[in-house]
Amino acid sequence: MNDDRLTTVHDDELATAVKGSLTGVHMNTPLETIVGRGRAVRTRRRIPGLAGALAVLAAAALAVGVLLPASHQASMRLAAWTVARQGDGTIKVTIRQLRDPAGLQHTLRADGVPASVTFFRTENPACRNIPKPSVRLTEKVIHPREYGRSDVVILLHPQALPGGAGVFIGVGYDRLGGKKGLAFVAGLVQATPRCTGG
Amino acid sequence: MGVGTQRLDFAEFYRRSRDECLRTVLVSVGDQDTAQDLVAEAFARAWASWRTVSRHPAPAAWVVRTALNANISRWRRRRREVAVPDPATVADLPAMDDVPGSLIDSQIMTAVLRLPARQRQVIALRLVLDLDTGRTAEVLGIAPGTVGAHLARATATLRGELMPARQQETSP
Repeated sequence: MNDDRLTTVHDDELATAVKGSLTGVHMNTPLETIVGRGRAVRTRRRIPGLAGALAVLAAAALAVGVLLPASHQASMRLAAWTVARQGDGTIKVTIRQLRDPAGLQHTLRADGVPASVTFFRTENPACRNIPKPSVRLTEKVIHPREYGRSDVVILLHPQALPGGAGVFIGVGYDRLGGKKGLAFVAGLVQATPRCTGG
Repeated sequence: MGVGTQRLDFAEFYRRSRDECLRTVLVSVGDQDTAQDLVAEAFARAWASWRTVSRHPAPAAWVVRTALNANISRWRRRRREVAVPDPATVADLPAMDDVPGSLIDSQIMTAVLRLPARQRQVIALRLVLDLDTGRTAEVLGIAPGTVGAHLARATATLRGELMPARQQETSP
């Protein structure tokens, strides 16, 4: 009789009790969510310079042609980025070209979302994670809306932001499956003057 | 293996092992939300590397190890911001069934959470996930003999707390 067998015999009752105490505990995350997060994991591995709780690849074709200046007006076509408040209070951020991250950061702040926005695989070293980082919490605030097209669309839920927290959005180009496109990572950070401005 | 077959294979693995992995990590970390988050992330990483993980001799053990490693990383990140006490150092743990909707046996879980962290992990892997000593040692990165020592101390403590009456009955 090896030590495992010995332990099993002696601890059988205890194991049953411990296991029995947990029978009401179930993993309730849908498979689709897991698979989606798996895709984000692959993307994070491909953008080592950007750390965050949420990452999505937008396998977008490179935008070509002349783009208009960045804008707060959703109706302006082909602006480098636009920010639009929706009727339900969410904020829709559309990024088409990596220009003027400070302007996007300022615009988001004016809409009530302290934000640190960086382009081209850079990070603001002054930013710190929120005290209890959680992918679940991040996903309540930040929803990737569209990717695989010619732009990245992110929905932000300002009402879900914890007190003192802001949003980090990092966007860069990446190559996946031989195709170059826009990718981004995002997460929640502590809203401080050096990180999110203000 | 085609992508569709891989997806079916992973879906079956997730359906079969998700609850056990969650319960194992819950015993180790002591918080249901954190455990859900860690296990979801670990399964996501498993899917991201499914070609490799599916060939692992114990994929569920891989998921649990990944979740526990992720917890260490989280704790290290958090440590810069705020001190988080280990559950075993908290004198008066709230009863688990004080939490609305909790379906956990509070007496047993409270006793388990009072164990030192390594003993909790050994209990989780040996008793909840049913790993043998060798695989438990591999997951935790410790010697098999150390697993045995932690298990012996943990079970003695738990028996003392949970089964005192039975112990008295069987004592000479």
